[in-house]
Amino acid sequence: MYRLGKYRRTDKMSDLICENYSMLLVMSRFGIPVGFGDLTIEEVCTKNNVDVRTFLTVVNLLICGEKDPGEQDPGVLSIPSLITYLKNSHTYFLGFRLPTIRSKLIEVLDSSDSQISTAIIRFYDEYVEQVKRHMEYEEQTLFPYIDSLLAGKKDPFYQIKVFCMQHDQIDAKLSELKNIIIKYYSSGNTNELNSVLFDIFSCSGDLASHNFIEDHLLVPEISRLERNVRKK
Amino acid sequence: MNTKIHIAIAEPSVIIRGGIINLLRQIREADIYIIEIPDITQLEFMLCRYKSDVLIINPALVGYHAIHQMKHSPDLNQIRYVALHNALADPLTLGIFDENITIYDSAEQIKTKIVKLCHKEQSSEVKQELSVREKEIIMEVVKGLTNKQIAEKLCLSVHTVITHRRNIANKLQIHSPAGLTVYAILNKLVSLEDIQN
Repeated sequence: MYRLGKYRRTDKMSDLICENYSMLLVMSRFGIPVGFGDLTIEEVCTKNNVDVRTFLTVVNLLICGEKDPGEQDPGVLSIPSLITYLKNSHTYFLGFRLPTIRSKLIEVLDSSDSQISTAIIRFYDEYVEQVKRHMEYEEQTLFPYIDSLLAGKKDPFYQIKVFCMQHDQIDAKLSELKNIIIKYYSSGNTNELNSVLFDIFSCSGDLASHNFIEDHLLVPEISRLERNVRKK
Repeated sequence: MNTKIHIAIAEPSVIIRGGIINLLRQIREADIYIIEIPDITQLEFMLCRYKSDVLIINPALVGYHAIHQMKHSPDLNQIRYVALHNALADPLTLGIFDENITIYDSAEQIKTKIVKLCHKEQSSEVKQELSVREKEIIMEVVKGLTNKQIAEKLCLSVHTVITHRRNIANKLQIHSPAGLTVYAILNKLVSLEDIQN
């Protein structure tokens, strides 16, 4: 079945995942495991203490690339749920996805030419370091700022605008690596090389959607929250 | 891969917006990033927040004066403006736009118009082999020399070095020194020992 519309709380969770397997990642970042039988999205969310509206907004935004203005009543989203999602997503990239690609790269790079492998791994490590800094900044500066906003306190020295200005596209450099390998690297290990390339392609896509959620969901919510706290 | 182009579309009708986006996605000459602006009251905010290279907008929404003002505002004057009209529009208003599209244009016509605009933007982009000079510069960049040091070593002006580096980035689509290092080693321009020294 091909769906044009958006997913609703009464749709089956299994339909959502079977039709869009990349939503598996979203589910696990909200802390929902598979094995939910025929329950609806709402039932599965309630069972796992996840705010269903936040879950659906993220899912629909990633699938359709568009927010439904009708559903965007101020304060409808649960910011703590969204933060949990983003934090888990950071753990996933830094603790699992990026290290996995690194060990696959080491395996596939021709050990006979150590110069090339060293240069590529060094490039990759620099990149991961950059992603780490990017995510640590969010964990150490942005999220605590949001926590205090939620508690009704306004930091006079920080605004979400500051975050917007320096929030860079973290997937760009990973695409660069992919381009270099595709254009200039020749190797005998075709299957293994393809597999790591597939991983890099999908990882840079995931990183881009992670940023997309921050820019299009988190930032507008936080600027609204800032305005509310200011009014008080 | 081509340079990234940010195209903003200000049009309230979801059908028209969707149609244009669909066509833009078929363009392979540029890497297009789309910013949708369904709500015209958000226009300036969105344009300031997401730096756009091209704005496709229904002229009936803004009129001559607004576009004129935007073209002269320091934040928005680098944008190329494209009128997307679905009704008769007067030539004076259309004249202020850099390009205009009607909803009855064919897919090919629309794509050609957008590609032409994108190319104007990156007229400096030339796809060819690296010159000997550019290769020399890469070799110095990967050794960690600054632009100033490279300029002194190769007897060039800093300005020339910067221009060369921009051309290298455009030709190879590699923007970081670390990326250039990998390129240089893969293409045997330098060896790892050269860099470590």
